[in-house]
Amino acid sequence: MKPLNLLALLLFLAGATWALTRSERFVRDIQVAYFKIINPTLTAGSAMETKARKFLDETENSKSLETKLNAINGEIGRLRIIESQFAALKRENKELRHALDFKKATNFDVVAAQIIRRHPTTWWQTMDIDAGEDRKIGIQLSVLSNEGLVGIIDRPFAHRSSVLLITDEKCQVSVRVEGTPEVGILSGQRGKFDNNPTLRLRFLSKEASLKAGQRVFTTGRGGIFQPNILVGTILSVEKGPIDSEALVAPAVNFSDLGTVFVVLSETP
Amino acid sequence: MLRYNLSTVVLLLIAFLVQQFVPAFTGLSHARILVVQLVFLCCAVTVTTPTMLLLAFLGGILWDAHCYLSPIIADPEVYAQPVESLRFGYSILLFGVAGFLMQGLNPIFRQGKWHFSAILSGIAVFLYLAAEFILISFIRGEFTISRSILRLIFYTSVLTMCVSPVIFWILYQIANLFDYPLHPEARNSKRR
Repeated sequence: MKPLNLLALLLFLAGATWALTRSERFVRDIQVAYFKIINPTLTAGSAMETKARKFLDETENSKSLETKLNAINGEIGRLRIIESQFAALKRENKELRHALDFKKATNFDVVAAQIIRRHPTTWWQTMDIDAGEDRKIGIQLSVLSNEGLVGIIDRPFAHRSSVLLITDEKCQVSVRVEGTPEVGILSGQRGKFDNNPTLRLRFLSKEASLKAGQRVFTTGRGGIFQPNILVGTILSVEKGPIDSEALVAPAVNFSDLGTVFVVLSETP
Repeated sequence: MLRYNLSTVVLLLIAFLVQQFVPAFTGLSHARILVVQLVFLCCAVTVTTPTMLLLAFLGGILWDAHCYLSPIIADPEVYAQPVESLRFGYSILLFGVAGFLMQGLNPIFRQGKWHFSAILSGIAVFLYLAAEFILISFIRGEFTISRSILRLIFYTSVLTMCVSPVIFWILYQIANLFDYPLHPEARNSKRR
C-alpha cells in the first residue's frame, strides 16, 4: 500500500472513531445543523411527495369511476362524476370533524399537525409532521390520532418534527389488556413494511387468558405515554414456557393517516 | 485532478439535496433510489483512495445525521430491556467498505469499461443494505429475515443500479470539463 493511502486510511479510521464516540448532545447539534441547511429542499421534497400522493389517489379514484361508468347509463355516470368531485371535500370535511371532536373530547393539551413525509429512511418506521419547536413541540412527546396511539416525537426541529411510530421495534409502550390484569411491553416488529403491520406484546404472564379482539391501552407507566390511550386489539396469543406473547393489530391505520395530535401536557 | 476531486465532493452534497425529492415506492416494499450511496459509489471508482475515503467520511456522517434516531429515555423499571440502536457514525465505515469494493474494479474502469462498475454499484448497494440490516440485528439481538426485507433490499439495489448510468454520464461531463482522464489506459491503447 502506498504511504499516502495508508495515511489516508489511518485518518479515515481516526475520523470514524471520533464520530462513533460523540455524545448525544453533539450528535443532536450536528443533526440540527444538517436539517437547517437542507430545510428548503426538505420542504420542497415533502411538498412534492404530498402532491404525488394526492395525484396517485386521484388516479385510483378515476380508475374506479371508469369501471362504474361502463356499468351504468350515461346520465347516472354524469352524476357520479359530479359526485366524485365532492368526495374529496366530503372526506376532508369528515376528517376535520373527527379532528375537532377528538380535540373537544381529549383531556390533553394537543397540537394538531399534518403528515408531510412518510418513510423518510430505509429501516426506521418514522414520519415527518409539519409542526416543530415553533409550536412548543419537544422530544419524546406522545403523538395520537383520533383512532389511537401513533408514536412519539423523535427529533423536533424549528418547523417540523420526526415521529417514531409504534410500529418500529425501537418504540416500546407499556400497555394493559382491557378487562384483565395483564400488562406488558408492546413494540413493532423488525422489517414489517406492510401497510397494516402487527405489533408484538411481550412479557405477559404465563397463564395469560386473552381473547382475540380485546383492546389494548397504555398504562401510563414509564414516563412517556399518558394512560388509557387505545393502542390496538389482540389478534392472537402464543404461550411460552416462561411468559406469553400476543400479536396486536394497531388501532391506527398508518397507511391512511393525515392529521395527528402531539400531546403537550396532560391538562388542557 | 484537484478540481475534479472537489467537484465529486460537491456532487455528493448535491446528492443529499436530491435525495429529499426521492420518495419510497410503497408498491415495491417501500424501496427507494439511494441517490447518496449511488453518487458515492460511482465517484469512488473514479477517484484515488484518499479522495474516496474523504467522500466516505463525509457521506457517512451526513447520512447518519439524516437517519439517526435519538435514544428513548424512559423509566428503566418499566422498560427494563431498552432497544439498542446503531451508534452515530456507523455509516462512515459502511461507506468506506463499499468504496474499497468499488475501487477493486478500478483497473477495468480505467480501460473504459464503466458498465461493470454500474453493475457493481447495484451489488454494492445490496451488500451495503444487507450489512446494515445484519448490524441492526446484531445490535438489537434476534436475527430475523423476512421476504419483505429481502424484497426491500433487492428492489432498492435494482432501482439504484438503474440510475447509475446517469451518474456516470454526469461524472464524464465533469471530467471533460476539468480535463481529468477517467480512462487513461483506454486513451493510451488508442494512441498506440
